[in-house]
Formats: sequence, C-alpha cells, structure tokens
Amino acid sequence: MRIAVLAHLQDVGEAPVREAMGLMAQLGGEAQTLLLAPAAQPAVAAMGEVRLGVHAALADPDPEMAYAAALRLLGDQAPGLLLMPEGPLFEMIGARLAGHFGMSAVRDVDAVELAGEAVVLRKGAYGGKAYVRVRATGGVVAALRAGAFPAAEPPAGSAAEVQLGELPEGGQERKTVRDTAGDDLGRAKVIVSGGRGLGSAEGYESLRPFARMLGASLGASRAAVDEGWASPAQQVGITGRKVAPELYLAIGISGASQHLSGMSGSRLVIAVNRDEHAPIFEAADIGVVADWYQLWPHLQKALEG
Amino acid sequence: MRIICFLKAILDPEAPPGAIRFAGKVESGEVATVLGPFEGNALELSVQIAQASAGGFVAVAMGDAAQDIALRKALALGAERAVRVDAPAGFQDPLAVARRLKAAAEEAGGADVYVFGRQAGDWDMGVTAGLFAGLMDLPFAPLVQHAEVVGANLRLRREIAGGYEESLRVAPLVVSVTNGPLTLMRLPKVKDVMLANRKPIDVLQAAAEPSLEIAEIAQAQVTRQGRMITGDAAQQAAGLAAELRRFLVAGGGN
Repeated sequence: MRIAVLAHLQDVGEAPVREAMGLMAQLGGEAQTLLLAPAAQPAVAAMGEVRLGVHAALADPDPEMAYAAALRLLGDQAPGLLLMPEGPLFEMIGARLAGHFGMSAVRDVDAVELAGEAVVLRKGAYGGKAYVRVRATGGVVAALRAGAFPAAEPPAGSAAEVQLGELPEGGQERKTVRDTAGDDLGRAKVIVSGGRGLGSAEGYESLRPFARMLGASLGASRAAVDEGWASPAQQVGITGRKVAPELYLAIGISGASQHLSGMSGSRLVIAVNRDEHAPIFEAADIGVVADWYQLWPHLQKALEG
Repeated sequence: MRIICFLKAILDPEAPPGAIRFAGKVESGEVATVLGPFEGNALELSVQIAQASAGGFVAVAMGDAAQDIALRKALALGAERAVRVDAPAGFQDPLAVARRLKAAAEEAGGADVYVFGRQAGDWDMGVTAGLFAGLMDLPFAPLVQHAEVVGANLRLRREIAGGYEESLRVAPLVVSVTNGPLTLMRLPKVKDVMLANRKPIDVLQAAAEPSLEIAEIAQAQVTRQGRMITGDAAQQAAGLAAELRRFLVAGGGN
C-alpha cells in the first residue's frame, strides 16, 4: 500500500511530523513525506527524503490556500493511507482532501495496523469514555494523536522543493488575531482550570492570583468559555486543547467527559468542587469537596505562610 | 440566503460516567437522546444567518426516528422544512454519511451555506463537514465562531490555533461551527415547540456503500483512585497546601 505523510511544519512543529514518519516506516511499503512550508527549511534536510511545497503565504495559510497547496503536492493519485498530525492543517483540509479523493477520514488516531488492503485504526469515542477500532477499505486519511507514536530518526536525505505557483486567496479582507491567553497551555507544567462552579467572570478571575502563586497557566472548561469568562484559546477538552501537565488543578469543573479527555494525560490531577458526586472526582488523584470561595482565603494564607 | 443545517441527536454527553457502557456495542441504558452540543451551535448560526439575510433554512439529520428530536428543535426555531435521511441507529461511515447528506442537499435544491457542527459527541469523528465539502467541491471554513451577512457573502470569524481569523467568504460554502458566546443556542418559545411537534418530517431514502466499519468497541480505562482531603475549610486548605508544596519541592512547576 502506498503511504504518505502530509504536514505543515510550522503548525505542529517537527516532533509530530517525525512521529508520523516513524509510523509510516514501521508500516512499511512505498512511503512518501510531503511537507508544506513558507520557505526552504534547514530542518527538513535531516528528515530524509521529503517533497517540500514552498510558498510564502503558507506562513499563515487560509484554508483555501492550504487546500490548493496540498492538492498540488499530492497530485492526482492519492495514497491508500494518508497520515497527518492532528492539528490546524488537518482541521482545515484533512477531511476535505479525503472527500475529494473518495477516501474516509479518521481523527484522534493512536494506533494503526495494516490488514491486507484494509487499514485498522484505533481512536477515542464518546469523549474518551470508549475507544473503537475501525477498519477502513478504500483509502483513509488519518489524523494522528500527538505523542502516540515513536518519532523516526530517518537517514539524512534531500528535500526536493516543489514550486506551488499561484495559490487562491480564499477569504478577502482577511485578518488574523492571536490570542495569547492559551498559548502556553500545551507546554505548561502546571495548569489551573476553572469551570461553571465558579459562578461568574469575577469568580473565574479569582483563580489568577492562585495560578500566579503556582507559576501555573490558566485553563477553562467549555462552560466557562461559553459564558465568556475565558477565551476560547483557554478551553481544555477534546474540542479545545489537549493538555498533559505535571499538575492539573480543576476548580469548579464538574468533569463533563469531553473535558476529562482533554486533561486525562495529566500526571497529577487535583479537583476542587462543591458537589461530592461530580464526575471530576473519578478522574482526580486528590479531591477536595469544598466551596472554592471558602477554601481560597485559607489556602492563600497556608501557601504564603 | 438559503441554508442547509445538518443536525445530529446523540446520547446525552453530560451523562454521568458509567451510565453508557461499551462492550462490543453501546449500551445506552436510561441515557436520553439530545441534540449534540455543537449541532446546537450550528442551529443557532443557521438561525442568525437566515434572519440577517431574510433567507431561510432547511434542517437535515440522518438516522432513525430518534433523530426527530433534533429536527423538531430546528422546526421550533424556524426551519422551513425538516428532512431525515433514513438509516439505522449506530455508527455510520462518515464518508457514506457525507454522500447521503449530499443526496439530501441536492434533493432540497442546494444552498448558499451548508452548516455543520464541529463534531458529534458520540463517535467524535469530526470529519463529516470536511468530507461533504470535498464531495461537493466547495470551499470549507472550519470552526466558525460568528458569521455576519455582508450582501451575498459572509464575514466569518473562525477559531485558529491561539486566536481567530476573520475574512469575507463568498457563498456557496461549507462551514463547521464551534462553541462560544456568540453561537449559544437560543431557546424556542413554548408555542413554537408545540407547533413544531405537529409539523411533518420528510423521510428520504439515499444509499451509499460504507468503506469504514467498527471492528471493536470497548470501555476506556480512565478512572483514577482518588484520595479525598476532608475536614473544615481551614483543614482542607492546609492539606491541599501541603500537597502543592510537596509537588513544588519535588521539582514540579513551570
């Protein structure tokens, strides 16, 4: 089976690309690595044989640009298995490419095997409460969960640069605004997250001094984002950011399954919630059944003292 | 603008842990079927675009009669028509789903904007909108947080890594909608809910061969053995502070 990796170096970084390449090498067969980048990349030379599609606009691509660029790199013949790191590029174009080529698409994949002409992929379902193995026949685009596969150290090769030519503009009057609020969540070692139990925007804000004391980044549940207390960039969950800090503190978060699956990779989980039956306690190493507003003054004193 | 809004009713994702069991199949027990949360966001965006453009929307779902709960919600919020693509309950190959939804869209006369939720909270596939765009050969704008009607076009705000993108997009196009303060689903009036219950739901037959099937489904092991810190607030705070100190002294922290 022909297998290819397709990724945008900037949007996920080098590690997930190497993981996809590692999986491709392990599966065997005819392999090809296709990368998109805004300029020639010194890092790419150390990644083995790569076809590199270069266009300045790929520094911050519009979905239409990224789609056109990927189609030019892929050509007319789609591989039987297209591996993409889970991330912004897959979100924009992964499933659309699959539809274009008449392939199926599966995301959040953490295991892949070949079974003859079929591909068997494992993924989470029901907000992480279950996992399923799906068998794909007739081609599949798979988005790989970061960290699920060992990274490859391919022999040094050469990058063949592919000129992508003019790319469609897509949206007009386009502007992008970076919200730095959740930037550090992915690499934070300590995260303090707040949820609906905090009751108000002021309540959520009260987590700030606590987070500062711990050197923690501030996360939020979907409910806190929907209420407008926190920015969407801070949302932790299967639909927000997946985080894996050494310590995760969930304050006033009931623990909807979609939230739990976003933080299940945390090493130590501490939960504070008024409701002793809150599901968050089943996902926590240490639980405190308490009202945050009564606990916090004492905790502040105890931590300062 | 003409809008087609694709909906899905799923087992309540807020059901407590353990209420749904997974052992070779999904055992739903007493868990209710509800409109998927992101489909609620998609429905809200459809209502907003329809109202701002003096247009209308058709609601489409796929599955058995359990899907009618989603379609009735759309009818209560002003959908002109509700269509259910008939299919058995349970997992469906997203590519086959997209093919059948395409048939439904064509039967409904097409649209300027095709609106999906970002991801249905049962199988968490999150690919149907993109597959549909690929099959229709239409532009695709994922993770829309807000849409403003500008003449025959839409100014879309989309979530991107670490922020948002705004741009003017030309119809026809496919969008997927994410959650946020601007796409919180409004509640229908009681009178409209009553009226919606009497409106017809058109059932459409459309076939597509699946190329993806479930080989195994099993319970994920996520539960931790939690230890509770008890006592009054001062005692709990002291216990928690001790744990935090132990963590920080052990070299944890940023």
